[in-house]
Amino acid sequence: MKISFEQSGGIAGLRFATTLDTAGLPPEDAQKLRRMVDEADFFNLPARIVSPRPQPDRFQYKLQVQESSRQHTVTVSEEALPTSLAPLVKWLGEEARRKMREKNP
Amino acid sequence: MLNATNSPIRGIIPPHMLEEIAKRGTTRQKDWALHNLTFAGFVRGQRQAMAALPTAAAVGHKYRTVNDNKHEGGNPPTGALVFKEGDPASADPAVNEAYDGAGATYDLYYDVYQRNSIDNRGMSIVSFVHYESNFNNAFWDGSEMVYGDGDGDIFDRFTKCIDVIGHELTHGVTQHEANLAYSGQPGALNESMSDVFGSLVKQRVLNQTADKADWLIGAGLLTSKIQGQALRSMKAPGTAYDDPVLGKDPQPADMQHYVKTSSDNGGVHINSGIPNRAFYLAATAIGGNAWEKAGKIWYVALRDRLRSNSTFKRAATATISVAKELFGDGSNEMKAVQDAWKGVGVI
Repeated sequence: MKISFEQSGGIAGLRFATTLDTAGLPPEDAQKLRRMVDEADFFNLPARIVSPRPQPDRFQYKLQVQESSRQHTVTVSEEALPTSLAPLVKWLGEEARRKMREKNP
Repeated sequence: MLNATNSPIRGIIPPHMLEEIAKRGTTRQKDWALHNLTFAGFVRGQRQAMAALPTAAAVGHKYRTVNDNKHEGGNPPTGALVFKEGDPASADPAVNEAYDGAGATYDLYYDVYQRNSIDNRGMSIVSFVHYESNFNNAFWDGSEMVYGDGDGDIFDRFTKCIDVIGHELTHGVTQHEANLAYSGQPGALNESMSDVFGSLVKQRVLNQTADKADWLIGAGLLTSKIQGQALRSMKAPGTAYDDPVLGKDPQPADMQHYVKTSSDNGGVHINSGIPNRAFYLAATAIGGNAWEKAGKIWYVALRDRLRSNSTFKRAATATISVAKELFGDGSNEMKAVQDAWKGVGVI
């Protein structure tokens, strides 16, 4: 399973992104990721999830998951983030920031 | 009161003049002006003319509270009230900064533009500090302010910068006025309005004229580990930071370099560099205190002329026509605004 993640927006308008492949992860991380994708029912989420009352300066997340023949992309505003998707977004956000820090320890 | 027949000269006197009369005129003049304002608002289907009435009738209502989220998050945020208007200084710097920044923002809008708080009806300004943990953001959630403490790695605490506070509260003002859609060009204008008035809050507190101001947004918010001086530069968009972790400030300084993207709601924090620089060019060409003339022109445009779908071009024609009405056809102020929008390639 391949996952790409991008966080944009916020008052700073910074972009954090990461791409990962479960094949290259420690088994426990790969398993956790698969579980979070399943629990979010990711492949059945709408492509765009927005709030009826958008809040300025919140983050925008874009997630793309590819697994064998399936691929799905979801763009979601922070204030409209479904509870089921929140753990995956949190995990990927931390991973993106960790990777960026590694570039410049 | 909304009877058209006793408004013989309706439509001739612009709303901003009516408002001035409504505030400063004799009782009879005030009644006449208020009547015409209400009628004009009714005809145009705008709520701002109605919202102007309490300003004219009542004195300002400045009331601030601060709540402590204690890192618990929530949407809307949770947390008990820890500070209210008039309390002695807190031991928590984030509380004092949120309170003082809200006060400086209220004062700019009330003292200079006669606006009574975010909604122009004297609404209390509520701030939540210590939102979540290591939260790298601050935002206006539609009815209150929310501040993170930053992760200490990229960001310091978000209450630290008074222009960031003014930026967020201005999102509230915009919501109650032009209500610019948060996407594409209207979204970038929404962002730019927040940067403009955020910077003006800071310039007024520091008593800086346009030529002395740094025109930076969020100076001091990035930690010393980051190579950058601020989040954005209104004077030189694209030059605020250049860092191995964050990358380079992506803001364009003119229309030629407008960024088309699906990230960030269509680049609202990116393309805001264009109208930001237009404001900087206008304010420095006019000279003196930027909040007095350039700020007034932008404020009246935001309050009376812009709509949810307004583009950069619309903002240009709106601010030029407001400058003409406030300072005269062919005035230096009008020319400065025209040249500014030409300077960034919008017209």
